Amino acid sequence: MKNLRIVSLLFLVLLVLILPFFFRSNQYGMILLTTILLYGVLATAWNIIGGMAGQLDLAAGAYLGLGAFTTGTLLLRFNLTPWIGIFVGGLVAVLFAILVGLPLFRFKVKEVWYALSSSALVEVLRIAFIMWEKIGGPVERYLPSYGSALYMRFSSYIPYYYIMVILLFASLFVNYWISRSKLGYYLIALGDDEDAAEVLGVNVRSSKLKALVIYAFIVGLTGGVYACIYGFIHPNFFSSPLSTEVAILGIVGGMGITYGPLVGAVLLVSMRELLRANLGGQLESLYLVIYSVVLILIVLFRPRGITTLLQDTFNKVFSRWVRNNHAE
Amino acid sequence: MDAVIQLLVNGALMGCIYALITLGLSLIFGVMNIVNFAHGDLVMISMYMAFWMGSYMGLDASLTPLITFPMLFLLGIGIYYALIDRTLRQKYVTQIAVTVGLMTFLRAVAQLAWKAQPRSLPYSLISGNFQIGSATIMTSRLISALVSVLVIVLVALFLSRTWPGRAIRAVSDDLDASSLVGVNQKATYALAFGLGSALTAIAGGMLMTFQQVDPTMGLRFGLLSWCVLALTGLGSISGLLISGIIVGCAEALAMGFWDPRARLLVVYLIFILVLWLRPRGVFGRK
Repeated sequence: MKNLRIVSLLFLVLLVLILPFFFRSNQYGMILLTTILLYGVLATAWNIIGGMAGQLDLAAGAYLGLGAFTTGTLLLRFNLTPWIGIFVGGLVAVLFAILVGLPLFRFKVKEVWYALSSSALVEVLRIAFIMWEKIGGPVERYLPSYGSALYMRFSSYIPYYYIMVILLFASLFVNYWISRSKLGYYLIALGDDEDAAEVLGVNVRSSKLKALVIYAFIVGLTGGVYACIYGFIHPNFFSSPLSTEVAILGIVGGMGITYGPLVGAVLLVSMRELLRANLGGQLESLYLVIYSVVLILIVLFRPRGITTLLQDTFNKVFSRWVRNNHAE
Repeated sequence: MDAVIQLLVNGALMGCIYALITLGLSLIFGVMNIVNFAHGDLVMISMYMAFWMGSYMGLDASLTPLITFPMLFLLGIGIYYALIDRTLRQKYVTQIAVTVGLMTFLRAVAQLAWKAQPRSLPYSLISGNFQIGSATIMTSRLISALVSVLVIVLVALFLSRTWPGRAIRAVSDDLDASSLVGVNQKATYALAFGLGSALTAIAGGMLMTFQQVDPTMGLRFGLLSWCVLALTGLGSISGLLISGIIVGCAEALAMGFWDPRARLLVVYLIFILVLWLRPRGVFGRK
């Protein structure tokens, strides 16, 4: 069983690495893959604060936008390459997370109210950046040096795909590492029952803050790459739909399961994009109608996540396979 | 000074409508402890329904609640039995996920049916304006505010004087005790959800007499009503009106003295500050 797991894991890694060679001439396919991975990274990072710590964070767009604006502005104003800029972006997102997280966790804003205040945060930043004409403003700011690898402005999607692959493996690894560490056990305990965890000596405030900071850093980093992929920065990067979608992918995929949100992102984002590509022409929003119905159905009938469905099926098939082999 | 008075009057009138929208939300949240993320989008849907009736049936927007109120009531009950009832025993995250799915659904349906451009009705029976002192008052806004206050009072009476209303309050106070004395929990929940949704029909119809509607409006009304609810806390109906007016005035002042785009910024900042400093609300009893 354990060998099988490692083999299938290696197979998946290999598949992810060689996938672009099948899509070499297919620009749309590469965009699709990169988008799926982008959501996969965001949802995997969300798993730390949302899945493990049980804080329904709806502010992914805030950290994403901060990362994008830091990276973009550093490139525009100081000609600093995004290869460094994205890390500065991640740090800015972390700084903001600390600024927000300290009072939030100090005043025990939790559950519904945490979700709502984080959701309001995204809109606050979006409006603030529209009004802040020096950095943002209502018009897109296009990034220079198109086609230069030094400035992370590739003319093809394949390098971006591999950057996303690196980010994905990094955030999966961070997830796995946290879930095995003391912090991970603290988070799972306080996600289940905050008061009980506190009584048992878990430092609830600092554990939550650590989770929020790690999540913000990964999302901020991704935001920098996001700006380079799109080639411009705009206050609409502080997007509420994106923020809720990241959380939904995490929930639908399976909260607290390391690769759950990734599974959710792969299945749902590819479904959404394929629906959009096939139905987009005449009926603009039909794909969103179907997409939301599927979301609701999954949440209603598999509240623990679609990954548990896959696991159950896998276990069933595997045990039957073992039984058949032994029978021979 | 005149400008301030003018802004305050406009803001206070809008605030009454916000209070009405929030009343629906607070019924649902207070009774079931369910966060309905789709509440703002129900307002948006009611506004579109008012728009439809206005442009195809020639009905005045201020009268459309007569038709949309029962429709939204049934829609709310339908939503309750189809979605909410199944998630009551789940974690709050699942409940939020379902209403977020509903929110996406309503928004997509609105985009499909009415496209993305804003719609408005050309006129209303109650349009026009008049002067009191130095302030100009739009008749449609004044009547909308009066209707909102009237409906809020009626709902308060319904909750305190009638059997179903008292059942709603009993269930929200103590679920087990109320089922011991014979309150049907499921029917009461459905009633509360239906009534909470139906109140958006009145707000939507009245808003349509002086505003335009577009599919992204749901987000704005959703967060606005959460802000009013956070400021109020649960269980205080007069507090609801006061907080609605505070939020409406803050919005109007921000629009007049700072920047028209800052209106929501101020609302959200109030919201976040209230959550940090007074998580139980300012006027609440719980």
